[in-house]
Amino acid sequence: MKKVGLPLISFSVSAGFPSPADDYTEENIDLNEYLIQNPFSTFFIRVKGDSMINSGIQDQDLIIVDKSLIAKPGDIVIAIIDERFTVKRLEKKDDIFYLKAENRNYPDLYLKNYSNMQIWGVVIYSIHNCR
Amino acid sequence: MNAIALIDGNNFYASCEQSINPCLRNKPLVILSNNDGCIIARSPEARTLRIRMGEPYFKIKKRLNKLGVIVLSSNYSLYGDMSKRLMNLLKKHCEKIEIYSIDEAFISIHRPHNKDLSPWARKLRTLVYQNLGLTITIGIAENKLRAKLANKLAKSINYSAGIFDLEIANNKDSYLKKINIDNIWGIGTQTSKWLRSKGIKNARELKDMNQHELKKKLGVVGQRIQLELKGYQCLPIEDKKNQKKEIRVSRSFSQPITKLEDLKQALAIYTIRASEKMRAQNLKASVVTIFARTSHYSNSNYQKSAYRKLIEATNNTNIILKIVIELSKEIYHPDYKLAKAGVLMQDLSDYNYFQKSIINYPSEDKSERETKLIQTIDYLNNKFKNEVITWGIAKKKQSWSMNRKLLSGTSITNIKRIPTIII
Repeated sequence: MKKVGLPLISFSVSAGFPSPADDYTEENIDLNEYLIQNPFSTFFIRVKGDSMINSGIQDQDLIIVDKSLIAKPGDIVIAIIDERFTVKRLEKKDDIFYLKAENRNYPDLYLKNYSNMQIWGVVIYSIHNCR
Repeated sequence: MNAIALIDGNNFYASCEQSINPCLRNKPLVILSNNDGCIIARSPEARTLRIRMGEPYFKIKKRLNKLGVIVLSSNYSLYGDMSKRLMNLLKKHCEKIEIYSIDEAFISIHRPHNKDLSPWARKLRTLVYQNLGLTITIGIAENKLRAKLANKLAKSINYSAGIFDLEIANNKDSYLKKINIDNIWGIGTQTSKWLRSKGIKNARELKDMNQHELKKKLGVVGQRIQLELKGYQCLPIEDKKNQKKEIRVSRSFSQPITKLEDLKQALAIYTIRASEKMRAQNLKASVVTIFARTSHYSNSNYQKSAYRKLIEATNNTNIILKIVIELSKEIYHPDYKLAKAGVLMQDLSDYNYFQKSIINYPSEDKSERETKLIQTIDYLNNKFKNEVITWGIAKKKQSWSMNRKLLSGTSITNIKRIPTIII
């Protein structure tokens, strides 16, 4: 009986000359491996809105968030304000932390104006569909 | 010396939901079991409203509404993924780990010179919160049983700190006294009744009970419990991967089943899932059991199971499906409304060590082709999710499938349903 090769799993090579590239093949590029250092604490989130447009994060982009990182001034972070997530840049001026939008139409957000503000995670990448 | 810690997630299902959805935080929240049957998890705020575990939803729906409690169907794919992340984090910070349930693990850690391990525990607790947004409780002691007690003590003595090291505590007996006999790991209802009749009410009294009397009634199990209460280590941390004794897939139906065709279909779908699970863990079953039963709330009770021993251990969906469909006739009864059914894959053996039977030896070529076919199906289903390929019987219209009306629908594993933030 003729053996049926299933290319997705098995690597039964059909007859013919062996490829000269066989010995040089490498694994495919794995974006997970490239983009994610801490898989156990990394989450994917979709964003809506234009408040971070100047940082390159646009409406409908996918952002990758690492919760294990400690946020530093200059980081783009996911914060919880009034029980809602938001994405802003963490800034520090005269020893006071605040959250800054990357769009002039949005105000800076100061901790003192909210009963509860918390950093949830640090944005490490944003993925934008270019088409 | 090594110490043992029992670590568990506080209000695990509710906390998973709250971690990825901040508007659920600090609010009374309950999670319902399959088919939105009863309450299986509560946030601390829901606890203080005296909403009890296990309460049937239909009975307290109005009350929950009035109290403004948020109600969610269980989102097991979320809890499963969070659990995996939690266990992997713990694994990185201990010597050995035994995953005990979706939100509990025993771990073993080195204790130098009778040192208090609370600082280590505090660090781990902060790390888990930072990484996952989940709060854990850590109980530390000399052995598994006492670690369980220490975990309970951590919750009752100082809930917000969530850490208790029983081994270095002064006056340990006074702590053991605080634990009711029914709350000791391994003591069932019958046993605790007997112990109470003997005047044994708490862990300290059980520890100091006459050992001959205990052994006479409860055998080596009772003896072991007493030894562990005294601080001896009897049960090792079982960190080997293949410790599963059976794989079970069972669910309640949203509508009672009365037709054999529906029962067959439900069992077939569970079989497809159970076989997949076996393959994912490199296991094969030698015994297949199926069961069906009526609702616990129903007046006419019926429960029946049937099993088949296999000549050769397998995890091939085709082979198991045939058996399950044959067996389903044996447990079906037209006079009863079936509320739940399930399949159990038992007598599991590790793939790598399994032996072929001499009888019923399938032709090498055929079995190899079948294996490849099923590997391909697993591969495609893994790649494209949502069972792009399955068996025909699973795709017919289902009138009985699970009810999850209040599902949040958020996922951290399916890109189409990841959380969206308005920025």
